[in-house]
Amino acid sequence: MTSQNSKQPDSPAPLSCAEFQQQLPDMFAAGADGITDDPAILEHLKTCDNCSALVRDLQYIADQARQLLEPTHEPSDNVWKKIQKSLASDPTYKQ
Amino acid sequence: MEIQGLQMTEPKASPGLFKRNPPIAGEAEAIERAKAGDAEAFSKLYALHKRRVYTLCLRMLGNVSEAEDMTQEAFLHLFRKIGSFRGESAFSTWLHRLTVNLVLMHLRKKGLQLVSLEETINPSEEDSPKRDFGSRDSQLAGSVDRVALERAVASLPPGYRMVFVLHDVEGFEHNEIAVMLECSTGNSKSQLHKARLKLRELLRQPERTPEADFKEAAI
Repeated sequence: MTSQNSKQPDSPAPLSCAEFQQQLPDMFAAGADGITDDPAILEHLKTCDNCSALVRDLQYIADQARQLLEPTHEPSDNVWKKIQKSLASDPTYKQ
Repeated sequence: MEIQGLQMTEPKASPGLFKRNPPIAGEAEAIERAKAGDAEAFSKLYALHKRRVYTLCLRMLGNVSEAEDMTQEAFLHLFRKIGSFRGESAFSTWLHRLTVNLVLMHLRKKGLQLVSLEETINPSEEDSPKRDFGSRDSQLAGSVDRVALERAVASLPPGYRMVFVLHDVEGFEHNEIAVMLECSTGNSKSQLHKARLKLRELLRQPERTPEADFKEAAI
């Protein structure tokens, strides 16, 4: 663990890495790609290299996921043939 | 709109939905004509959306044959229900929601009872990502291409993959996913987080090369 929290006057109670990581699901779900204004979390992020790297990686994965929205796979021609065959018996399908 | 017990409501319009799924040229006209049963217009909608619907099915099911069957089902269902599309959301968002509901219903029909679906959403400990309390590693940023990510997503446990695809790829909110998967919002958030941790773990593993395998075998 590389957390180097040092208690200062008026600073939030330091979080351990485990406590910090327990808060990550809600932190990310709160939006803004995991950006938070919670002082305890911000303090931990400033002082813990591993947890800040973890957050960066998770943000990066979420960002990269968006590129998967563009499709890469194509159904075979059979799919459209079967759809047409099914619709041919539908009286509302106007060919 | 309801698919055998599953609510198929049109999501309220939000700027994000249209930004993520911008209107496609000629789509609006094709939708209106398809509502009247126009075969040519429906063929155009199929051509515009087949790849995204099929890719979504394939990611959710991980099986080409089933993904093709569900693509067929989704478009047949679309033809029957397109009259209820009012344009309050992007058409592709609406179509994807319809597809997701059909795929989930298919999975349940296959014998995946709600309890076992919950188990799917909660993989065993061996599948769980390792916690990251200590080790220092190189950053992922800039090092992951689309192919590597696609491969890593495909190798996720089904429950993790489902939530990751629905949230991070398709853009559904946790409350929507919770309704679709019949789980709590907290469960959806937690599974997404575990999915991302697992992906990080998978993406940081060095790719195996024949040379590496040979060296390992020699040792």
